[in-house]
Amino acid sequence: MRLPRFDYFGPDTLDAALELLATHKEEAKILAGGTDLLVRMKKGLLNPKVLISLKALNGLSYIKKDDEGIKIGARTPLADIISSDLIQIQATALSQACEKIGAVTLQHYRGTIGGNILQDNRCHHYNQSKFHRSGRQACHKEGGKICYARDESDRCNSTCQSDGATALMALGAKIILASAGHERTVDLENFYTTDGIMPFAMEPHELLKEIFIPFQGGQSAYHRLAFRSAIDYPIVCAGVLLTPSLTQKDEIEGARIVVGAMGRSPLFLAGESAGLKGKKFTDFAAFQTAADAAMNSAATFAVHNVGGTLEYRRAMVSPMVFRALKEAAQAADR
Amino acid sequence: MEKIEITLTINDKLREVSVAPNDTLLEVLREKFDLTGSKESCGEGVCGSCTIQMDGKPVRSCLTLALEADGCRIKTVEGLANGDQLSDLQESFINHGAVQCGFCTPGMLISADALLQNNPKPDEKTVRKTLAGNICRCTGYAKIVDAVCHTGNPDNQCPDCKTGQ
Ligand SMILES: Cc1cc2nc3c(=O)[nH]c(=O)nc-3n(C[C@H](O)[C@H](O)[C@H](O)COP(=O)(O)OP(=O)(O)OC[C@H]3O[C@@H](n4cnc5c(N)ncnc54)[C@H](O)[C@@H]3O)c2cc1C
Ligand code: SF4
Ligand code: FES
Ligand code: FES
Repeated sequence: MRLPRFDYFGPDTLDAALELLATHKEEAKILAGGTDLLVRMKKGLLNPKVLISLKALNGLSYIKKDDEGIKIGARTPLADIISSDLIQIQATALSQACEKIGAVTLQHYRGTIGGNILQDNRCHHYNQSKFHRSGRQACHKEGGKICYARDESDRCNSTCQSDGATALMALGAKIILASAGHERTVDLENFYTTDGIMPFAMEPHELLKEIFIPFQGGQSAYHRLAFRSAIDYPIVCAGVLLTPSLTQKDEIEGARIVVGAMGRSPLFLAGESAGLKGKKFTDFAAFQTAADAAMNSAATFAVHNVGGTLEYRRAMVSPMVFRALKEAAQAADR
Repeated sequence: MEKIEITLTINDKLREVSVAPNDTLLEVLREKFDLTGSKESCGEGVCGSCTIQMDGKPVRSCLTLALEADGCRIKTVEGLANGDQLSDLQESFINHGAVQCGFCTPGMLISADALLQNNPKPDEKTVRKTLAGNICRCTGYAKIVDAVCHTGNPDNQCPDCKTGQ
C-alpha cells in the first residue's frame, strides 16, 4: 500500500516545530512513531499536505520526577516507559497498559506515549480500505450524515481504544499543550469532546509536549481484554487508582475508576469512584458493587463498532474493573 | 515533492539513496536495494512480515518512512548469514522444520535475532512474548518457538530437532 504524497519537515527545535504548525495548521500533522498516522494515511482516511516529524526533537523524550510528580515527554517511546522502574512503582497502571499495547515489534520502539493518547478514535465501519468504504454512503466521520454504528445518531460514536490514555486518566494525569508563544495545561479528563470526528479538545496548531502524573500515594492497576493478547486493540479495559486514608491506613480515602474502549473517550466514573471512600482495602464485596455499577454506567456509552458483540463487551466491564480494583487493593495492603 | 538524500548503514554497508517523503523504508529496501527478504503482507502494521532492525531494535518497515531512518543502522534478513554460512538461528529454523511457506520467516528471524542479541538464553515465555507481533499462518508457532529457544540453549534436550544428528 502506497502512502499519499506530502511534504516532510524535520525541525530540530521545538520552536521551529511550533512555527511550522502555526503556518500550516489543519494541513499539517505531527509524525511521532507513525504507527497510527501512517496506517490511516495509507487507507486514505486523511491526507495531510505536510508532516512535521518529531525525529530530531530528542528533548521531547524523557521521564523525570520532582516533588510533585512524574513528567513524561510526549515523544518518549513506549519501550522506555515499560522499562522505567519509577513508572512501574509509582504509576503501575501506566506501565501495565503500555506493556499490553499492540506488540513489542510494532510499537514498543517506534510508538510514543503522545501518539498513543492522540491516536484517532476507531470504528470498524470507518477504519477500512478505500475499496470497502466505496461500497456505501459516507458516515459522519467521513463527512456524511449517517452513523452505521448507532441508528439515528447525529454524531460520530467512534471508540477511543488507547490503553495509555485510560491508565493515565485513572492516575489523574494532566497534559501540557504547546503552541507558538503559548502553553496550557489540561486535565486529561477534560481533554475530550463529545464527537468522535475530532475527539480531542485541541487546536490544529497545538503540540502535545508533556504528560504530568501527580504523586497521590496509593496504588494503581490496569486490566484489559482483547481477542489476542498481542497486536489487537482492547475491546474493554479498566484503569484504577486507590489511595489510603492518612489516619486509617487500611481504609480507602480516594478512588478513581476509569473504563476504556467503551466510549468516545476513556470514561472517568465519578459516582462509582466516590462510593469506595471509607471502604476497607479488603472489602471485595464493595469492589464488586462498584464494578457492577461501572458496568451499567459504561454500557450506555458503547456502540457495536470495535469487534465483539456489544453484550459481551458490556458484560466484561465488571470483571475488568473488579480485577483492577482487587489488584490495586492487594498492592496497597502489602 | 522533492527527493531527499539519506544515508543508511544496511547490513554493515554504508549506502546513500535519494527517497521521496512518502517512500516507506520497506519500499526503499526492496525496490532500491533489491533486498526482497523483507515482505509486505498487510502493509498496515498487523502481520510483522516486514520486520527489520533499526539501530538493533525490531520495527515495522512498512510503517517507517525511509526519511525517518536517515543515519540509522538497518539489519534485514539478508544480513544474518555470513556469506554462504547461515547463522545458528537460521540453521535452527531449518533443523526444527520452522519454515513452511516462508513468508513470515524473515520477520520471525529478525525479531528473534534482536532478542538473542540482548538475551542469548531466553526462556520459552520470553520468546513467545517477543514473537507475538509476528503472524505465521502455517506452522502453528511451536516449531518456530522451539527453533529460537534451542538456538540460545543448544544443550537442551529437544526431541523434534535434527541438530547434531
Ligand atoms: C496493528 C496495530 C495494533 C495496535 N494496537 C494498539 C493497542 O493495543 N493499544 C493502543 O493504545 N494502541 C494500539 N495501536 C495504535 C498505535 O500504534 C499506538 O497507539 C501508538 O502508541 C501510537 O504512537 P505513535 O507515536 O506511533 O503515533 P503516531 O501515529 O505518530 O501519531 C498518532 C496521532 O497523534 C498525533 N501526534 C503524535 N504525537 C503528537 C504530539 N506530540 N503532538 C501533537 N500531535 C501528535 C499524530 O499527528 C497522529 O494524528 C495499534 C496500531 C496498530 C497498527
Ligand atoms: S461511529 Fe458512526 S459516524 Fe463514527 S466512524 Fe463509526 S459509523 Fe462512522
Ligand atoms: S507488512 Fe508491515 S506489518 Fe504487515
Ligand atoms: S511459514 Fe508460512 S506464514 Fe509462517
